[in-house]
Amino acid sequence: MVMKSGMSYFSVSHFSVLSLAVSLFILLCALPAIYMLGLSFTSADGHLSFENYRRLLVEARQRELLRTSALLGAGAAMLATLVGAPLGLLLARARFRGKRWWRLALVIPLVVPPYVLALAWTWLDITSELTYSLTGAIIVLGVSFYPLAMLATEAAARRVDAGLEEAALLVAAPRRVFAKITLPLVAPAVAAAALVIFTLAISEFGVPGLLRINVFTTEVFTAFAALYDFGAATALSVPLLLATIITALAARLIIGERMLTTRRSSRIGLSLTLGKWQTPMVALLLTIIALCVLLPIGVIAREAGGLRLIASSLSNSRAAVINSFALAGAGATLVVMLAALVGYARARMRARWSGLVDLALITLFAVPGTVVGIGLIGLWNHADWRGEIYASPLIIVIAYLARFAPVAALLLAASVRQIPVSFEEAAVVAGASWPRRFGRIVLPQMFTGLSAAWVVAFIFAIGEIGATALVAPPGESTLPVRVYTLIANTPASNLAALSLAQVIIVFLPLALFALFVRQSGGEK
Amino acid sequence: MTEAFLHLVALTKRYGNRAAVDRASLFVAEGEVVALIGPSGCGKTTTLRLIAGLEKPDEGEIWIGGECVATNGRNLIPSHKRGIGFVFQDLALWPHLTAEGNLDFVLASAGMKRRERRERIVETLRMMRAEGFAGRYPSQLSGGEQQRVAIARALIARPRLLLLDEPMSNLDAPLRGQLLEELKSLQDRLKITTVYITHDRAEAEPLAARVVQMEAGRIVCG
Repeated sequence: MVMKSGMSYFSVSHFSVLSLAVSLFILLCALPAIYMLGLSFTSADGHLSFENYRRLLVEARQRELLRTSALLGAGAAMLATLVGAPLGLLLARARFRGKRWWRLALVIPLVVPPYVLALAWTWLDITSELTYSLTGAIIVLGVSFYPLAMLATEAAARRVDAGLEEAALLVAAPRRVFAKITLPLVAPAVAAAALVIFTLAISEFGVPGLLRINVFTTEVFTAFAALYDFGAATALSVPLLLATIITALAARLIIGERMLTTRRSSRIGLSLTLGKWQTPMVALLLTIIALCVLLPIGVIAREAGGLRLIASSLSNSRAAVINSFALAGAGATLVVMLAALVGYARARMRARWSGLVDLALITLFAVPGTVVGIGLIGLWNHADWRGEIYASPLIIVIAYLARFAPVAALLLAASVRQIPVSFEEAAVVAGASWPRRFGRIVLPQMFTGLSAAWVVAFIFAIGEIGATALVAPPGESTLPVRVYTLIANTPASNLAALSLAQVIIVFLPLALFALFVRQSGGEK
Repeated sequence: MTEAFLHLVALTKRYGNRAAVDRASLFVAEGEVVALIGPSGCGKTTTLRLIAGLEKPDEGEIWIGGECVATNGRNLIPSHKRGIGFVFQDLALWPHLTAEGNLDFVLASAGMKRRERRERIVETLRMMRAEGFAGRYPSQLSGGEQQRVAIARALIARPRLLLLDEPMSNLDAPLRGQLLEELKSLQDRLKITTVYITHDRAEAEPLAARVVQMEAGRIVCG
């Protein structure tokens, strides 16, 4: 790894700490996916084989799964982009009051675990043909993921150099500047976000599982958890892994280095003047919030019944609630610790192949939970010291690390890039050792990024179901797993109470983070 | 006295309590080249952005070609109707369009027909000795080539007023000298009223008929 500066400030501690972090990252986060990929080229007797791929191409069942998964991914990506991208442009460019609060309300579906939204969807009084259909799953995932498209579009629109729009405003009317300059400059980020949403949607397990849609993730789960067919589960993971790699590659090609930069233009070149459209815009925002936030939460609250019922349901699942909180907290903390070092190593890399690291990080993040789960079982379920870990709650924390450390590393690499290398060089000149430079110069400036990464990891971890459902040791359940296993034989009120608890648990750290950002000087 | 083509009357622009431009008045005759010089942060760029209509003046007036285009907090004429060519300090070439595409956008925005646009683009690129890289994107051009495209883009619509905001600041000395000479010969030929911003008097003097000094938002001599 080559540092960005001409100055050599390589040291043994620097090298050993980063090497250890990167090795741990590969061992815990990358190995399950690599193991599954390797297994896909292996026959039942352990020899090199392309049988899994042959079956993928010739079996009608596999083709049907491929079709349904692709439709689910494409539909969810399209719906999320159609709703999210215009909202992102509005937030970035239009002038209206209370923008911060509108943004906060609009982003809520992203922090509510998708399976909770799916449960709310099943409790809406609509026909069961629509409820348990591919369209239903597309709607639920579209609602879950539109905030991603919104935030990506807003960030891209804010990143557009104001000078480019001003240069166009000198020769063209604002509408033309918006269509010909602003939109094309924002479009790659929107397309990349759509690709990421596509991958997240085809990797989703909870929503298709609840709405009884047969896709690869649910089939992987059934093959392993119900039929104990490890080979079939592995084979079914292959198309998901391939789709993940291809999509990550496409996203990387589209947005390139920009995924690691969060630079905002210091001023806005082109503002959208709403004028007479102000009232319709407010009505539109209220409608989206009503449909995507108030309606699902309202339906869950209605189903949960009174406070007494909620208290009784929570009391019955107290262990799962406490487990969820403790494991997600521990998981998020370890994720951030590991990702801070890996993100730092990535941000300060100058190697030609550094783009491949981003690609690997995106790919690892998009590997479906069920695939990670089976990979972890294959790696850790052995009759030696690994078995001890596998039989303990630690395996759930490892699952969280495998799933969410890659995205946290990407976020924190972006955070490190904001810190000029010269700050560290000044510390080198002052004689500071690497641990001191990292601890006293780098980490304090990453504080907002570290907090944001912790909140993101916590929210993801507490809603994680695909991997946790597979690796959770007997008697160790988390809230999502408990809800998923209770669905068949528990009254709706009980499930609703647990879902409500889930939503509240997710909001706590988010509210604290929002408060922190506000107190520490506005949006960052 | 020659009639003013560009006239700034007690122009003021504040950011919070700080006046970036403070009752600045300037008179530029038609065809005249004026260099606005001064240290960083003295209000040169803000003055140019006010003239272009990219900022609104808090007080004062801006007159271009005998027409009041901005007065006391209001832009009366939008930027794209002021007939201005602008070369930005960072050039602001649109990265998703080729050199030719950058020029074409300007003419198409003015409603010019495709064939006329084509002819005008070829003519302008030739004038700027930039025809060789018409099909290349800004990222594929060297600093000097980008400079030529940026100047070509500012000139292509045959503006009444040319504004140049330290356009040579990112070039090395030999290239700067060469481009300044070319700019001078272009100016001699086209006779466009020009305001040229720089902090380097030596760069300004060969090009400008008059050098105007700015300090702390005020025009102090010229």
